[in-house]
Amino acid sequence: MKFNIYRYNPEIDAKPHVQEYTLEDIEPGTMLLAALLRIKDEQDETLSFRRSCGEGVCGSDGMNINGSNGLACITALDGLKQPIEVKPLPGLPVIRDLIIDMDQFYKQYRAVKPYLVVNDPMPEVELSQTPAQREKLDGLYECVLCACCSTACPSFWWNPDKFLGPAALLQASRFIEDSRDQDFEKRLEDLEGPFKLFRCHTIMNCVNVCPKGLNPTRAIGRIKHKMVSRSL
Amino acid sequence: MSLYVLEGLRPWVIQRVSAVYIVLFILYATYCFFSADNIAFEPWKNWFYNPFNTTVVGIFVLALLFHAWIGMRDVVLDYVHNIMLRIFILAMLVGVLIGSGLWVFRILLLSVVG
Repeated sequence: MKFNIYRYNPEIDAKPHVQEYTLEDIEPGTMLLAALLRIKDEQDETLSFRRSCGEGVCGSDGMNINGSNGLACITALDGLKQPIEVKPLPGLPVIRDLIIDMDQFYKQYRAVKPYLVVNDPMPEVELSQTPAQREKLDGLYECVLCACCSTACPSFWWNPDKFLGPAALLQASRFIEDSRDQDFEKRLEDLEGPFKLFRCHTIMNCVNVCPKGLNPTRAIGRIKHKMVSRSL
Repeated sequence: MSLYVLEGLRPWVIQRVSAVYIVLFILYATYCFFSADNIAFEPWKNWFYNPFNTTVVGIFVLALLFHAWIGMRDVVLDYVHNIMLRIFILAMLVGVLIGSGLWVFRILLLSVVG
């Protein structure tokens, strides 16, 4: 099986290049991450990429696989066209090979205050929710912050410093929908303006690539409708 | 009012409302066109004399101008990152749209006044 992998070491290379690798005896059902680890172990120990849990939970190994963003650990080689083109996630600076600098992504994530804001005195036991209130968080809380969605979003490519991006907006929605949060008004107020939220043009690349099957576009739509209801 | 006239939520709502109105107007205008007995300048002018038609055309032009402004503004905000160039293009756009609007309203007004 053939692999074309993006290589770039800014300490040595003047510009990025693509390196070819070939692996034999690949068992059916093998995931891309396992193949990359084999290449690193058997052929080229300088090949660099992030990975941790290996089962789609940590979100570390987001990369561009045959033109589409995804997690290497849950992408089976069987369905991929050869040679398999592996590149870093687009739109963010490359630190080395498949490792990107995610500072901008995390900056936008922090901007939406991804935590509960409770102004009342905390209850002695817990902040309880009804099952219906809890259900509203389904499809929002499961995000693993792999950045596959935001780096697939043209609006994020164009304005990564101003547009929050689908991942951060999904998290914004997660806390706006949370019945325990007491910062509803301020959260919506903070998203006003032409850039933070309204650069989303419903392109829906984020929905296409999300490895967890989430729908940031729908979450963004829910925020917009909440803003309209609030302004009425 | 900042440089990005109308800002965030308001343009988003106006864009959608104006789109619905534009579609409804096009359907109405198409119906009027195909149900007309005689397609000529005089009947067309009389159509504009009708106060209802003058009003719906006036609202249509406003809707179209706002819709065009928001659409073009979004393209500029997405692609033009140099702030001076952005201001220049948006200012030109405002000029062209307001000019077009005034021109249309002059025509409409003349059609009403006769």
